Parts: sequence; C-alpha cells; structure tokens
Amino acid sequence: MQTTIHYPKLRFGSKSVDIFPYWIGLLLAGVLFGLVGVFFVLRDGLQVTGLSNKVPWGLWISIDLSSISLGGSAFVFGVIVYLLRLKRFEVIGKLAVLLGFLGYSTAGMVLLFDLGQPLRFWHPIVYWQVHSLLWEVTMCVVLYLTVLVAELLPIIVEHPFFEEHALHEKYPIIKKVAAFAKSLSHWLHKAGPVLAIVGLTLSLLHQASLGATYSVLFGRGIWFNPSAPVQFVFSAMSGGIALLFFMGTLIFRVMRPGLVSDDVLYDVARIAGGITLLLTYLRLWDWAVTNYYSFDRNINLQTEALNAVAPYSLAFWLGQALLPAIAGAVLLSAKSVKNFRYLMAFSVIPIFAAILTRWNYNFAGLIASSTYDPYTPIIRISSYTPTWVEFAVASLVISYWLLMFSLAARYLPFQSKHSEH
Amino acid sequence: MSEIENEQTVTEKSQTSRRDFLKLAGALAGAAGVTQLVMGNMTASASVESSGEEGTGPQWGMLIDINLCIGCQYCTFSCEAINNLADDMRYCVVTEETTQSGDKFFLSRPCMHCQESPCVHVCPVGATYKRPDGIVAMNYDRCIGCRYCQVACPYDARVFNWKEPIALSPQSPDFGYQEVPNRPRGVVEKCTFCSHRIDAGLERDLVPGVDPQATPACVNACPTKARIFGDLNNPESPISVALSEAKTILRLREELSTEPRVFYIPPKQGAENRFQGS
Repeated sequence: MQTTIHYPKLRFGSKSVDIFPYWIGLLLAGVLFGLVGVFFVLRDGLQVTGLSNKVPWGLWISIDLSSISLGGSAFVFGVIVYLLRLKRFEVIGKLAVLLGFLGYSTAGMVLLFDLGQPLRFWHPIVYWQVHSLLWEVTMCVVLYLTVLVAELLPIIVEHPFFEEHALHEKYPIIKKVAAFAKSLSHWLHKAGPVLAIVGLTLSLLHQASLGATYSVLFGRGIWFNPSAPVQFVFSAMSGGIALLFFMGTLIFRVMRPGLVSDDVLYDVARIAGGITLLLTYLRLWDWAVTNYYSFDRNINLQTEALNAVAPYSLAFWLGQALLPAIAGAVLLSAKSVKNFRYLMAFSVIPIFAAILTRWNYNFAGLIASSTYDPYTPIIRISSYTPTWVEFAVASLVISYWLLMFSLAARYLPFQSKHSEH
Repeated sequence: MSEIENEQTVTEKSQTSRRDFLKLAGALAGAAGVTQLVMGNMTASASVESSGEEGTGPQWGMLIDINLCIGCQYCTFSCEAINNLADDMRYCVVTEETTQSGDKFFLSRPCMHCQESPCVHVCPVGATYKRPDGIVAMNYDRCIGCRYCQVACPYDARVFNWKEPIALSPQSPDFGYQEVPNRPRGVVEKCTFCSHRIDAGLERDLVPGVDPQATPACVNACPTKARIFGDLNNPESPISVALSEAKTILRLREELSTEPRVFYIPPKQGAENRFQGS
C-alpha cells in the first residue's frame, strides 16, 4: 500500500515550488559551517571554546543532555509496541525509534568534540570505572544506540530500494548487501521484544544517571539533589513524547496522511500530557522539600546570586511549573480539544521544559558555586560565553538532526508491507 | 559484608553532611569556636581511621600553618617551575581571605588529596586514582578530558590543559627546573604531592618531609616553614608531632566529608593576628 506524499509547497503567483531541496540545501550549509568549527576544534583543541577551569562544561553538554532527553519516546514506544502489543501504535512507534536514534547519535557526536582527547573516546568501554555515573551513562548510551540501530534497520529495509533497483543489476555487490540487510533485519525484527526490554532497561538506567551525574556533586548546592534522577526520567518521557506528537502530526497529517489515524495521535498527546502533569507534580514536591520543608543556606545564597543575574526563579515557576501544568492538562484532554493546531502549539511547551531543565541544570550549578575559604565563603558567579566555534558545532549537530529527520520524513517507509505477521 | 558496611557509611555520611550544613550555617553566624573544637577532635580520629583502612604503609599529609604564611607565593612558583606550568595553570593557589571578624589571612591551597575524593569517584575511566599511600594521582595516558573531575572538585584544585604544554615555565629557572614530563593538551592535571620525589626518595632510604630531596617542592620553598609534610601513620613524623601539638586544626569544607589530607592551623583572632599591627 503506497500512499501519496504531500510535500510542502511555496506558491509564487501561479507557480508552485517544492521547497524541500532548498530546505535540504540550507541544512547542508549549516553542516558545512559546522565542519569549519570542527576543523578548528580538532586542530587547536578546546582553547577555541569559551570554557574555562571555572566553567568546564557549556553549550555542548547542554545540547547533549537535551538531545538525549528528546529521544526519550523510543523506549516508551518500544514497550508499547513490542511488549504491550498495541498494534495501532506500530507506525508511530517507528517514528519514535527514529527520534531516539537521532537524539542519541546527535549526543554522541557533540560529546566527541567536547572531549579533550577525542581519539580516546573508546576508553570508557575498555577501562571500566563502575563507580562513575559518567561511565555508566557512556556504556548505556553506546549500548542503547546499538539497540536503536537494530530497531531502525528493519524499518529502513522496508524501502523498495532493498527489493529492486537498477543499481542492483549494475553492481551485484549492492544486491548482496541489500539481501544481507534484509535477512539481518528479519532476525532483528523477531528479536523486537528482547530489544524493547533491553532498551527500556538501558534507558531508565542512563536517563536517571544523567540526573545523578549532577546530583552526586555534593560540593555544589543546587545540584546536590536526590530527586534529580527521577525528574530526569520523567522529563525525558514528557519532552520526548511531546516531540513525537509534534513530529508525528507533521508527518502523518500534513505530509503522509492516511497512515496513522487521528485517534492514535490523540492517544500520543494524552500520554505526553499525563506524564507532563505527573512530572510537574513531582517537581512541585521537590521544590517544597528543598525550599519549604528544609532550609539550606548554600542553596538559598546560590538562588539569590542567580536571581541577581537572570530571572532564575521566574523561569522555574513559569517554564517548569505553570506552563507545563497548562500544557499537560490540554494534551491530556486531547480527545475533547480535537484541534491539532492547538495541540501542536501546546506540545511545544513540554519539549522546551525538558530542554530548559537540562540547560538550567548544566549552567546554573556550574556558574554559581561556593568558594572554599573556611570562614567567609561566598557564592561566586562565573561567566561563560560560547564562542563562534561552539555555535558552529552546535549548528552542525542540529542541522544533522533536522537533515536526517527531513530525509526520513520524505523517504522512510513507515507503512509496513507485511504488517500481518 | 563489606558492601553492607559501605551502605551504612553512605547513609551515615548523608546524615552527617546535612548536620554539617547546619553546622556551617552556625559557624557563619559566628559560632566558629564550637566547630573548631569538633574539628580538632576529628583530626585525631581521622588518623586512627586511616591507619586501620589503608594498612600499615605511609599516608602522606600536609599541615599548613596559616599564621606563618606571608603570602609570598613561593609555593606556587616552585610548583610551577618543577611541573612546567604556565601562570594560568597553577596547581597551588594563594589567596587573601578574611575571618568572620574581618581579620585578613593568606590561604594557600594545594590539592587536598582527600581520602574520599570526589574526583576519584566520578572519573569514568579510572584515570584519577588513589594510591595506597593516600596520594590522589593521575594517569595522563588514560584521561579522556571529559572534565567531570573538575566539576566535582569542591576545592577548584584541578586544571584542564587547554593549550599545548609550554617550553619553559615563567618561574623557571628562578624557582627550580622541570622534574616531570609534560602532559598532552586535552587532559586534566593536578598537584601530585610531588610523588616523583617521594617515590625516588623512598628508594634511596630518604624520609619525605625530612629530607628535602624527597619532599614536595612547595614545602621546601616556603621561607617561613609554614608547611610541614610527612607520614600521618608514623607518630614520630614532623607532621604527626605538629598535629598532636596543635590546639585547633582546620580542614577546608569539612562539612562535605571529603576528609582532606591537607590540614591547616587556623589564623589567630583579633589582637593576636599579624595583620592587625600593620
């Protein structure tokens, strides 16, 4: 069953132009600009960044955390499709796998450039330090990326190219590779439930550990927070599934209508809304525990110092409490709202709330830190401004994400030919 | 069995840290005397603990008498010279600080070589490790440059090698010559307690802390002998004698339970403070 694909068109009077090639061209320009930055980073090292000994983590780590969190829908829908066997989510589950793969590969790419010794990226896999949260996160991300590739491959080989193509006759090697990919995918598809369990385990482990990466740092008051791991897991689910709804609506209602029914999209919105409300509820208790039921002078001073340079508390109440609560309620009642424009607009809020949490965690705890002098310690606010090289690499990975997504939206075979098995 | 014990220690520690946070708040409000008394008691128990845990070998530690420090930064400069460091890569930093009553004093801060080092716990590849003699050391060939240890260190004691190693430190040859190999760009570096001198000295039956060839450069360079180095496990060593004679002992950010191996004799208050006359 081949459905027609509607591409976004731009109208000039009577002429209508397919904007897809221009969009791809723009993204390629973003990639090229990024490669210039990559050249400087690899040649001159991290001195080309705005990072310092006071603020050793910056823009790249924030992007890394955000993109991992926005890949959070993959493990949820792996469970829904393969373990709960809810057939109607099968197609949207494929999109979740794609978003997961894009999130994790983006994170891996940006982390590579953030290492002082990029050529030693494999050290955590060989030299185990099992007490380190960063080691656990690295191992989980590497293994989970493998799982995502294993889940993505069977989707890719559904493309007609792997059945028949002029190139197959011209170059027999391509035919052999295609045949191998197909037989491999057959086995991988059979292993789906196992992959779903492994993916769920790995995801819960590292999404939580990313929060714990910060919350074990007892020298930094704002980060030292035992509830961060739980918040990171729920925030990844909330933001990731909201992104799945946004992109799913874009693909399955605008570009390729007919593959996914509106009811399924409403259900995705409801899952996102429910988890967003749960997260906001947890966050409120977390705030109460840190600021209301107990008093820690260090946290108080840090918050004060941050409020002096930026609307830190306001951003929390607005971006992580009020707006997500409203958005969660709207998304949860998707079946009554029944308006995709409103739903898409509100689904942006959990996505941004997930990103905001990561950026807040990474920046706030780093720039506001206590000095070590014994009698009159103060909260020092360090400054950090990303350089153009950092923005260039950011442009590379974001363009990569959008490029891969755009190509997939146009060419990835979401419709399954043998969906009866 | 050991796992259960570890768990207990963790819970105990989290309780202690909460209590100590409150303690810090109290200290800031002016009740420093109480805290110092508690800390003085803790040093005695800390050395007993270390001998029990780490075996019978030496445990290196340092004592810095804040009242003797004149802020000349010779420790910093000699450290730069023998480790071949640029001025923005200092392992040991001297700053001017104040007590609650506003008295000024100089605080010299090498790596604390914590017994419960946050940097060792967080390193994803085990490039930072604790030697049996208590020194927190680095394997520069293994470090991937992720900088998690920098983020974790409560004392800002770690420096990242942002640039290529320099040819000659600005403090060399005035304060000494390079004694250790250069570290590559892109790894995190730190104070080693001059472990190369200690290891070589022990092979020649020298006593670190007594014989200058086996003693950290900063200790040798101090013109007022504010720094004492030695084996905390040996009751006869200069540092053990000085610690037992000291009325009060201070460790930085004690409330975090990192158990630093660098001890301070706190500055005298009020009229006894050197700065008050000048």
